Amino acid sequence: MKVDLAVLGAGPAGANAALAAAGHGLSVAVIDENAAAGGQVWRAPAPSVTRDDADARDGAALREKLRISTVEHLDSATAWLIARDDAWRVDVARHGRSETVTADALVIATGAHERVMPFPGWTLPGVIGLAAATILLKANGVLPGQRTVVAGCGPLLSLVAASILKAGGTVAAVVDLASRAEWLGALPALAARPDLLARGALWRARIAAARVPVFHRHTVIRAEGTERLGAVRLGRVDAEGRLVPGAPEVAIAADALAIGHGLVPDTAATRLLRLRHRYDAASGWVAARDGTLAGSVARLWLAGEVGGIGGAAVAALQGRLAGLAAAQALGRSAAAAEAAQLQAGIARAGRAAAAMSWMMRPRPAMAGGITPETIVCRCEDVPRAAIEAAIAAGARDLNQVKQWTRCGMGPCQGRMCGEAAASLLAPHVGGRENVAPWTGRPPLRPVSADDLLGDFDYADIPIPAPAPP
Amino acid sequence: MRVDGRDVVATPGISVAAALLAAGIVVLRRSPAGDTPRGAFCLMGVCQECTVLIEGRAERACMIAVRDGIAVSLRGPHAE
Amino acid sequence: MTNADRFDCAVIGAGVMGASVALPLARAGMRVALVDRGPICREASGVNAGTLTMQMTRAALIPYALKAWELWMDTPRWLGLSVGAEQRDGLSVAFTEAEVAILEARAAARRAAGAPITLVDGARAREIEPGLSERALRVGHCPVDGFASAYLTGRAFRVALEGAGVALREGVAVTGVERVRGGWQVRVADGEPLMATRVVLAGGVWLEDMAGWFGIRLPIKVLINQLAVTERMPPVMQSVLGIASGLLSLKQYPNGTVLIGGGWQGRGGRHDGRGDAFVPEALIGNIRLAAFVLPALRRARIVRAWLGLEAETADALPVLGPLPGVEDGWIIGSVHSGYTSGPFMGALLADAILGRPLALPLFPIDRLLAQKDAA
Ligand SMILES: Cc1cc2nc3c(=O)[nH]c(=O)nc-3n(C[C@H](O)[C@H](O)[C@H](O)COP(=O)(O)OP(=O)(O)OC[C@H]3O[C@@H](n4cnc5c(N)ncnc54)[C@H](O)[C@@H]3O)c2cc1C
Ligand SMILES: Cc1cc2nc3c(=O)[nH]c(=O)nc-3n(C[C@H](O)[C@H](O)[C@H](O)COP(=O)(O)OP(=O)(O)OC[C@H]3O[C@@H](n4cnc5c(N)ncnc54)[C@H](O)[C@@H]3O)c2cc1C
Ligand code: FES
Repeated sequence: MKVDLAVLGAGPAGANAALAAAGHGLSVAVIDENAAAGGQVWRAPAPSVTRDDADARDGAALREKLRISTVEHLDSATAWLIARDDAWRVDVARHGRSETVTADALVIATGAHERVMPFPGWTLPGVIGLAAATILLKANGVLPGQRTVVAGCGPLLSLVAASILKAGGTVAAVVDLASRAEWLGALPALAARPDLLARGALWRARIAAARVPVFHRHTVIRAEGTERLGAVRLGRVDAEGRLVPGAPEVAIAADALAIGHGLVPDTAATRLLRLRHRYDAASGWVAARDGTLAGSVARLWLAGEVGGIGGAAVAALQGRLAGLAAAQALGRSAAAAEAAQLQAGIARAGRAAAAMSWMMRPRPAMAGGITPETIVCRCEDVPRAAIEAAIAAGARDLNQVKQWTRCGMGPCQGRMCGEAAASLLAPHVGGRENVAPWTGRPPLRPVSADDLLGDFDYADIPIPAPAPP
Repeated sequence: MRVDGRDVVATPGISVAAALLAAGIVVLRRSPAGDTPRGAFCLMGVCQECTVLIEGRAERACMIAVRDGIAVSLRGPHAE
Repeated sequence: MTNADRFDCAVIGAGVMGASVALPLARAGMRVALVDRGPICREASGVNAGTLTMQMTRAALIPYALKAWELWMDTPRWLGLSVGAEQRDGLSVAFTEAEVAILEARAAARRAAGAPITLVDGARAREIEPGLSERALRVGHCPVDGFASAYLTGRAFRVALEGAGVALREGVAVTGVERVRGGWQVRVADGEPLMATRVVLAGGVWLEDMAGWFGIRLPIKVLINQLAVTERMPPVMQSVLGIASGLLSLKQYPNGTVLIGGGWQGRGGRHDGRGDAFVPEALIGNIRLAAFVLPALRRARIVRAWLGLEAETADALPVLGPLPGVEDGWIIGSVHSGYTSGPFMGALLADAILGRPLALPLFPIDRLLAQKDAA
């Protein structure tokens, strides 16, 4: 398939980029591995799920706009390789085969995934991410368990707890790293977004009405169980996330734990392309972009959370802006006034988003508190002690830690362990900003050999000339 | 759904991972290195913990929607 | 400058070649500095396919490779840590009559050089490797084969080098070398120069630049090899598989991952860094070939692919010996299947530097020089 613009990711950012560019006459393909557009926050609910909240309406509206647009939506399509010759080339695994999309311009809008700082027992079935719980509830109408502990930090805590209650489930406890005072301190920044304030108040009212115990300045010390989660043990922490010595522990019976410590931009694609990245205190390593969201190489734009955590509203505006910039670069006339308006909107919405991403940040002492035997790399079962041993043996960058321990070599490709591993390395190299992320390599997601191969015979394999005798 | 040959009632259109959870099936596989039990974790296609065999292929259960009669094997790609 | 600040030898480049020279020199009592602009063994020597093979090695190098193979199988004795080396049967498969002809010629040449290769038919080969394609016509079988986990090389060498007292300088880029009274001054990007009586160039594909410091023009071709690895899977093979023309190397590690290589080419060059230009067709072609040879691989999921840079000279034979016309200057690299032969090649050059008798001849580079300016 050959188009003017390829967009990777059909979340708020990618879908809006595609729509804006198509609106200015570009032929556009948008690629996403989900079956429907919407990304994480506007994920399409299953037919069995009836919802009528703002996110659901926004998502439905977006999907309708895409449906009636000229945008070619490659759904259920996993992009596994991006390369550049004269044009961009995206290789996509879809319906059991691999196809190639070529494009003159590219927008990367791969969003973010969740960060969960490791603790003993976090690999037990029944422990899921906090954002993961929103997907279960919003898109599938399924509860995480009979009795769920909701833990971590940021606004998703109240959202998840309230949604579980609304769906008729039981929340055994809410465990928040932040104090009440920290939440109050974040309020002024939210004044620009009364809708968010109102939603938050509603969630907290529901939690209070259900008499759910809320533990501020607490963390999960351990998830307990053998084959699956049976109980969650809590402890008090200080502002840095360090366990307070001697404080009493609390054990809570639960068959589900939803826990998350913020979001991490998914930079697999931007690292693969060797774009310039920068370290940002709130979002970590992100792909660098300028005011028009152009990345560090020509004909490439970065929209949404791949360039920094900012929430859905910012992502959608950035998407439009990137789409306009691409249209303009390919010779279509886009109104400069609209771009300026979008930039102003992004700045406004960005303030509330910054406050929220500050509340979602992992606390600085958390990595240090990981016990030696705690698994850091879930795929390869690598405990902290093995990572420390590699560091003691002289490993000074993340790739070396990976080579010497297999941390990050499994099928999640370092997405689940990368943050913790980097935080463990940080004190040895003068801080987190000196720990460059893993080298980006294809495939962007594990890809089945079957999908790549198709039907072929020996003669169809383009075997190069033999090696020297 | 057919899960390891057994019939499991599931809501069409939700993800296989969600349907398994709703049916009380939380242990989806064992980790290949440490042989410890694992279940769905991120539900957005990233962690790969929910990888099972669906219609004979290694797939992320959270990325595949339930269809009538869909065959799921929890023995997974790592089992022998 | 006091004598204490001066090294007896500065080895530039800490791949398997540089590390294998530095270690015996230090153990023989020299004060050795090993300098690399990156971490130890992070270029070719840390990212290669780890095949310890005779059938892929050039015939002229078989005697060297056989000795090195013994060393790899015995790292706990001379290196300390293991790099996961394992002996396996090596099978080199021919699917067409033309490939049978190549196979027979290559096997004969290697057998003459000492590699215990026999030719078997497809049925016999499938007894050795039950997963092998039914289409195999004729197969070269060599019991002296196997693999290591290349990514462990740096860790193992690092411990041994430090134990031997080598001054390992990682993250230090050398920018040039100058003759000073009684030795060499090794200039580095930021920091004090190093003083050494002797220098050894061990810069992999960057040897061309390094030779240039001495006014020596040594053309080095850069091969950009693509590799791919699967996630852990149940046992699907036990041998090391290749094809007659040499463009496949396939093995399953004890952890269940299958590594697919063979030298399919990406794009780039020695000054682009590693891995900017994957050629998707080459990746797919390589995996197709792998799945043709071992059909069970169709079920695999590929989790990662990468590239590494391999050096090759005009005649595809090594650079190993003194720098012509340069007193106390030495060079090592561009060894075909250089991971396999590395430890022996390094020890051999160390013997030459120490003035000891040589078990096998060096490969002096005079034959390769395009032109030579005054140093
Ligand atoms: C699980 C989850 C729940 C969240 N819930 C909320 C919420 O309730 N409220 C809120 O304000 N924010 C929420 N967030 C934050 C959310 O990420 C942003 O608000 C918003 O979704 C960002 O939009 P985006 O377009 O940048 O990225 P996303 O919405 O994340 O979209 C990125 C898309 O790219 C696709 N993609 C990535 N890589 C590939 C590939 N290789 N091949 C094919 N497709 C690919 C993904 O499948 C995804 O659909 C949530 C985040 C997560 C992870
Ligand atoms: C992908 C791939 C697969 C391969 N597979 C196999 C295989 O299966 N079996 C096999 O036997 N062989 C294989 N090889 C070949 C083998 O890896 C190489 O022959 C061998 O590792 C070369 O070692 P080296 O020490 O010469 O080079 P390198 O390992 O490349 O080391 C050179 C070092 O010099 C350093 N350097 C360069 N310039 C400077 C400077 N200015 N200052 C300081 N330091 C500098 C570099 O940082 C580098 O660390 C493969 C090669 C590749 C790339
Ligand atoms: S639960 Fe993480 S990939 Fe499905």
